[in-house]
Amino acid sequence: MTWSDGFSLAFHGMISNKLRAVLTMLGVIIGVAAVIVLVAIGQGAASIVSSRIETLGTNVIFVSPAAGTPFPMSETGIIAHALPFSVQVVPEMNTGGKVSTLSTEGTAQIAGTTSSYLRLGGISVAAGHFITPQEVSSAQHVAVLGANQALNLFGGQNPVGSSIMIMGQQFQVIGALNAVGQGPGASQDNEIFIPITSAQPLFGTTQLSQMIVKTSSPSQANLAADYLTNLYTNELGSSSAVNVASEDQVLQTLQATRATFTNLLAGTAAIALVVGGIGIMNIMLVSVTERTREIGIRRALGATREDILLQFLLESMIMSLSGGLIGVVAGLGIMNLIPLILKTPAVFSPSALILAFVFSTAVGLIFGLYPAIKASGLDPIHALRYDG
Amino acid sequence: MIQITNVIKDYTLASQVYRVLNGITFTIPEGMLAAIVGPSGSGKTTLLNILGGLDSPTAGEYLLNGRDVSHFDPDEWAHERNHTIGFVFQSFQLIPSLSARDNVALPLVYRGVPARIRRIQADEGLERVGLGHRKHHRPAQLSGGQQQRVAIARALVGDPPVLLADEPTGNLDHATGLEILEILRQLSEQGKTVVIVTHSAEVAQVCRQVIEVQDGHIVTNTLEMEQKV
Repeated sequence: MTWSDGFSLAFHGMISNKLRAVLTMLGVIIGVAAVIVLVAIGQGAASIVSSRIETLGTNVIFVSPAAGTPFPMSETGIIAHALPFSVQVVPEMNTGGKVSTLSTEGTAQIAGTTSSYLRLGGISVAAGHFITPQEVSSAQHVAVLGANQALNLFGGQNPVGSSIMIMGQQFQVIGALNAVGQGPGASQDNEIFIPITSAQPLFGTTQLSQMIVKTSSPSQANLAADYLTNLYTNELGSSSAVNVASEDQVLQTLQATRATFTNLLAGTAAIALVVGGIGIMNIMLVSVTERTREIGIRRALGATREDILLQFLLESMIMSLSGGLIGVVAGLGIMNLIPLILKTPAVFSPSALILAFVFSTAVGLIFGLYPAIKASGLDPIHALRYDG
Repeated sequence: MIQITNVIKDYTLASQVYRVLNGITFTIPEGMLAAIVGPSGSGKTTLLNILGGLDSPTAGEYLLNGRDVSHFDPDEWAHERNHTIGFVFQSFQLIPSLSARDNVALPLVYRGVPARIRRIQADEGLERVGLGHRKHHRPAQLSGGQQQRVAIARALVGDPPVLLADEPTGNLDHATGLEILEILRQLSEQGKTVVIVTHSAEVAQVCRQVIEVQDGHIVTNTLEMEQKV
């Protein structure tokens, strides 16, 4: 038998029962589409992290207290003096709270900080100005709105000069920020910034949420992180009372988490593919049984065992490969819809496509092999007598 | 020409050995129309399966057209059947999903004959058995006699020297059976060695050589009797 005859034979075997072929392929279609889509989502999440590294730089470290560790404003000076090089130390206290204008209300992440926050980078002012040192020292009730907050509370209108209620107290809007987009953790788009001196009475505490330390280079950031870890471990007798992490470390951790997440998604999808393969094996076994007589006839007319093996193996491979192709098309289609529906980016991964394709071919080969061997091993005399 | 010598066939069933053929020896010359007859269970179908290489003898020698095929493996037999043996079965054994033409062309697929030439040869074969107008019909759309003609066309398409027929008229009415028998007789006159397994005395009567098998032995072989006379 020639290869082209083998292929056309296998193809005719498949299309002679179209509905069954489609249902059988469905497992592979779903598996391959799932691999492509889920890996794209995973990669999309990872891409946010890396773009954040690029825009923000990695010369920032975060110092935050564990629950129960006192962490007042005065720590700002301690940190600045503890390091052998000059750094920006920006205190921050956070809480979620209700905000409202005369016509709308909502919730926001309220951040009490100082004027130096702007110099950390990553944000820029769209209208008005950021909190000034004078407004901090005199504990003014002024607020700067993140892009989403400005949009939610004021529609498209310029909010500067308007009044808003934050946690029951009146504040005047002095500025609005440009959108920064979704990043790891909370986005500044959902925040409202107020002077830290006004935040203390409003939140009813002097405890800081974290201290952001900006150095002039990533290597200095790592050095500063080591210094501060030692400082707090010696001072408080525990390395976990205050958590010191460089932006670099935070992002690396996030990226590792995202990679695990991507692998997990790909693994889940691979299981779907294997299940699809079992479906193929199941239907091929049925097909071999149904066509027992045909196998006997072919053997009587001169088909070798290899001819029969090839016929059934090609049929299962064509089935899983067609499923793979349809799955790729479906997967790419769904992938393009994800940013519209889920509002999260999906990044196409060529390796996922190749993997899905190789895997689906392998599935056809592996799960088609046993039925094909079974078919080729049939005794022609019994096969000819078989009453199906 | 078919020559078998001292062929023995044992079957083991539940660790009990049954001897189905017990020292069968005969020669069927080229161009002969031969019948193998005997009651059910006499071993005549087993004998035909051995002649076609679908079954292998436990012991004995088999010369097919002068070549020793006694120790062929299943794939050597597949090749041998494809080139030298045409099969005709009682139940026709056509593939239901294929047209008459594709059924007839089937042996050529396993010879590697290109599709275009297969089609031409299959159509010629169907013309010869008077079914040129039924090329595109499926087996289920044909009568029993027509199906058996398709099967004969298929057996002949590769021009094999030997034709093995297992009860070829068994599923046909009397008149149609005679027509099929006449086709087989004509083929033997054209030089093909035709072996028919049958339990019908009427079929046997048409054949020049009749080999009668009973309990795994040959009881009569008309050709040998002829030669002795």
